[in-house]
Amino acid sequence: MLSNIFSLSFLVSLLAGTIRLATPILIPALGQIYTQRAGILNLSVEGTMLMGAISGFTVACATGSLWLGLLTGIVVGMLFSLIMAWLSITVRANQVIAGIGLNILGAGFAAYLYRVIFGIRSLPAQIDSFQQINIPVLSDLPIIGQIFIQHNILVYLAFLLVPLTWFVIEKTTFGLKIKAVGEHPKAADSKGISVYRIRYSAVLIGGAYAGMGGAFMTIAYMNSFTESVIGGRGYISVAVVIFARFLPSRAMWGALLFGLASALQLRLQALGAAIPSQLLLMLPYLATIAALIFASKKAEFPSAYTLPYSRLER
Amino acid sequence: MESKLKSTVKEVLGTVIMLALALLVGAVLVVISGNSPMEAYSTMLRGAFGSAQKICELFVELIPILLMAFGISVAFRAQLWNIGATGQFTIGAIAAAAVALYIPVPSGIAIPLSMIAAVVAAAFWAALAGWLKNRFNANEVITTLMLNYIANCFLLYLVNGPMQDPETDLSQSALVPVGMMLTRLFGDYRLHSGIFIMLIVTVIMFFFWKTNFGYRINLIGQGEKVATYAGVNVKRTTVMTMMLSGALIGLAGWIQIFGIQYRILSGIAGSYGDIATIVALLGALNPYGIIAAGVFFAALRCGGNSMQRMTDVPFSVVDVIEGLIIIFVIAKTIVNNKTLGLRDKFRRKQGGKAHVE
Amino acid sequence: MENMAVKMQGITKAFNGVKANDHVDFYLEKGSIHGLLGENGAGKTTLMNILYGLYQQDEGTIMINGKIEDISSPVKAISLGIGMVHQHFMLARPLTVVENVMLGRKSRRGILLDTKQTAQELAAVSDKYKMGVDPYSKIWQLSVGEQQRVEILTAIYMGAQTLILDEPTAVLTPQETELFFDTLREMREDGKSIILITHKLEEIVEIVDEVTVLRDGKMIGTKKMDPSVTKGELTNMMVGRDVLFNFPEITKQPGEVKLSFRNICVRNDKGLPALKDFSLDIRESEVVGLAGVDGNGQKELCEVLTGLRKADSGEMTLGGEPVINKEPIFFINKKVSYIPEDRHTTGLALDWSLKRNLIFKSIGKAPYSRNGLMQSKCINAYWEKAKDEYQIKAICGDEKARSLSGGNQQKIILAREIDVEPEVLIADQPTRGLDVGAAEYVRNKIIEARNNSAAVLVVSADLEEILQISDRIAVIYDGELMGILPRGADTYEIGELMMGKREEVAVSGK
Repeated sequence: MLSNIFSLSFLVSLLAGTIRLATPILIPALGQIYTQRAGILNLSVEGTMLMGAISGFTVACATGSLWLGLLTGIVVGMLFSLIMAWLSITVRANQVIAGIGLNILGAGFAAYLYRVIFGIRSLPAQIDSFQQINIPVLSDLPIIGQIFIQHNILVYLAFLLVPLTWFVIEKTTFGLKIKAVGEHPKAADSKGISVYRIRYSAVLIGGAYAGMGGAFMTIAYMNSFTESVIGGRGYISVAVVIFARFLPSRAMWGALLFGLASALQLRLQALGAAIPSQLLLMLPYLATIAALIFASKKAEFPSAYTLPYSRLER
Repeated sequence: MESKLKSTVKEVLGTVIMLALALLVGAVLVVISGNSPMEAYSTMLRGAFGSAQKICELFVELIPILLMAFGISVAFRAQLWNIGATGQFTIGAIAAAAVALYIPVPSGIAIPLSMIAAVVAAAFWAALAGWLKNRFNANEVITTLMLNYIANCFLLYLVNGPMQDPETDLSQSALVPVGMMLTRLFGDYRLHSGIFIMLIVTVIMFFFWKTNFGYRINLIGQGEKVATYAGVNVKRTTVMTMMLSGALIGLAGWIQIFGIQYRILSGIAGSYGDIATIVALLGALNPYGIIAAGVFFAALRCGGNSMQRMTDVPFSVVDVIEGLIIIFVIAKTIVNNKTLGLRDKFRRKQGGKAHVE
Repeated sequence: MENMAVKMQGITKAFNGVKANDHVDFYLEKGSIHGLLGENGAGKTTLMNILYGLYQQDEGTIMINGKIEDISSPVKAISLGIGMVHQHFMLARPLTVVENVMLGRKSRRGILLDTKQTAQELAAVSDKYKMGVDPYSKIWQLSVGEQQRVEILTAIYMGAQTLILDEPTAVLTPQETELFFDTLREMREDGKSIILITHKLEEIVEIVDEVTVLRDGKMIGTKKMDPSVTKGELTNMMVGRDVLFNFPEITKQPGEVKLSFRNICVRNDKGLPALKDFSLDIRESEVVGLAGVDGNGQKELCEVLTGLRKADSGEMTLGGEPVINKEPIFFINKKVSYIPEDRHTTGLALDWSLKRNLIFKSIGKAPYSRNGLMQSKCINAYWEKAKDEYQIKAICGDEKARSLSGGNQQKIILAREIDVEPEVLIADQPTRGLDVGAAEYVRNKIIEARNNSAAVLVVSADLEEILQISDRIAVIYDGELMGILPRGADTYEIGELMMGKREEVAVSGK
């Protein structure tokens, strides 16, 4: 058993699994960096991901185009998060309550859609998901090739989003505006920035990423849809953002940490480890709590975090 | 005081309109699924209130929903977002079953002992999130949620491992001793004596918000700064609030084991956690509202079950309606702000100009 | 007509049915400094927010340089050459100076930030006006005075010809104010037009060319300032009556030391030292006024004295008993009352009813609580009594604290804190944001408490107030006690200490 854990093949498959399993957390987490930086805590990522998962899966099934499925997941994610944006920005509702409500709605709606579209089946509907890329020579490289160069294209896309997110937040006018409306919306307003528009954009971007992350689960990871396909990844991604102190690069490390916890669970289970699989299943969730413990004291939240804005109030 | 009555009426009326709206959207979904909404809703109505047995079933559903919603309301009033009802319920049920199955004492002792075990275990499970918030500033929404998943994994482990019923391959424990099962009140109907516990808790909740502890919980909900300033020990009260919240939810778990399930099995908490959360919010965190919302949702669940059995409409329509209700109720505030503006204008004129300039 | 930079006519603006501005006329001559005088809540800021495009007027017209303009947003205002420096600075604290500036203008590099170029230009303007602002420093690293310079610099950089300054001197020491006025005069020489929002008569007399007075949202009049205009005349216009500062007679001389603290060290929320070896004694029947520019450790001191913040080191005794770092409830039980600086997040539970706000320090205490239950009857009775005694204007005790005006909110706090006959009273900025009448009332109540043997510490940024009510004046700068001065000390001397210039002679009051 122990010797198995320290064997090379175990480590290689563990690390490859880490990267693959980090992806569906990394994508929504990067989106939430925009949202949370703009001062909005969107807890409905879980529900948004479910909506992205079912819609992406459906369209991919119907059209046979995985890319169209992905696009649909993104668009539906944005539409769903539009409700969150409206509730938190226009209605100025309590963001925690709005998030809880939307998760319940998303879960119900996704289950309803699956049932209505696919009916009752003994075997779940399946599709051919995104295949791992295969670059001659490179993918066959021992160790390196196996860990890094045998994933599907979306995994690479996700990791490319890390520097992109950093660039947008730190180097563009849009990024500066996002930071400003999260820190001091009144100041941003007085400088001619539409707080509503920027916050709506930030929530919608978060929704797009969440929808993409959800679609990833059904069309690039599981190749089928179940009601528990997201399994808390939405919440974990919100935790990752706090853990990462709103920085994209740290979010990547955070996501990899959870990828590692999940992969370890899967690998150990595959090895037939002495620890019961159900207890191993706890790993990513325990890791989330551990990460929050580690990071929350130090995290400097945007000053206007979770606070709705109105010009008329001081 | 007349204006207070008026605003309450308006509040209730607004909520009813939102419920109707949600049911309307639900009807559209029923049509899309290829069924008749009239048939679906009438089946639901009959399923909820159609006979003495159905009404008993409604109360069976109401017991855990109300207890958990009260528990959730306690935490929410302090602005502690305890989303961990599912996990606390599970832990309470596990503790209750463990005592019943493994501690060989007469049922006269085992019953109270298992109740204490369920309540205490769930209270500490919830308090863990409170402590993490105090000590590490860890967001309780996320910790309570993660604790749900962890409790669920633990349950799965137990019912497939050490606590699995040796007689079967199913993911469930053995039955609890017959002597510990709660008495059924009306013959074969499932309604059991746990309803008295629910009634007692309900009565207590009406008083609770007048107690010192209730005031302190409310004050924390007004903000940590002002509560500290007023001399409330925020950290201690936070943990105690979470404990009380978890205790009530654990009590629901205990009742469900000895009143309905008689064993623990995978997924024992069902969707009670979500429903109770909606009920607490829809009921505006006050006992009257929670009772009204609880009855409504118990009826929705019972009716939904009937509908699923008797027609081709998927139960998830009920889930969607629940989600819509809460979204509409949240959105109602903006409608209120617009339509009730006139009344505010009048009040402001007399009350001063707090927000002018 | 030609020489009018701004001409506002018949401006009306209502919020929730309350008219904040009611047919106000206002004009500003080019190259002049125009004072806008009025009490808190008179509508000065609303009028200027309309001019700056933050609000739109319900009625009335605005002419800029002789042309009718529809100022729909701050961007439009800026493009018309109007700049505004708000009372609460409009600066995002974790961002740098240049980032804050770039927020307000289009980037010359499209969607990318033009940080370097902007910083260079900014530095050039800063040098021209000798402001000494580093474009790359983060806002939270700057002092309040520096932040104000950043705001003015930004406005000028954005091309402001007309500058609106909202209560700019509230955060400055007398000396800083002098320097600031010099800058204003220089800007006037440059041909810029300036609107100075204030409620301080001295400033009007000292620097302003013309003054417009507002009261209750209405324009009372505009006057050219010349030596014939008296302060009394202006006060009368502003308040609508002659204000007589009637203080209750001081009936008792200071007695024994009641509250004493030695070498207190404490950190602020950011973990930086806020108080450094701070020591002070406060006697029975004595008001010690603590003067200092905002943010020099006053708030942290008050919090240590009431148990809300834990000191790193130091000693503190209350009536001889050591009490450092006890819990807040301990101090409440010992009748240490505290009027906090922030009414909205600390002093009141805004969404609680007024009567609950009155008793929230007495949860679990007789007579308001018996057998673990709060007694509504008793609470109602107390509300009725306090309402009359403290002249709280409210519809009923069930009304939310949020719906009251600032003055009435402060009266709720006063009733709660003073009605317990405090042994010690800590008052942090007790009159900030209140109109003249309410402020006078608050000061009277503080003196009353003093005459009832309370040991009182009053923190105020308003030197005038400190001078009026203090038996002794302590000055704080950067967390250190700069000196203790007797009643009637010289304003200039206090100002020097407030800026951290310690004179050896001054530290003798101990």
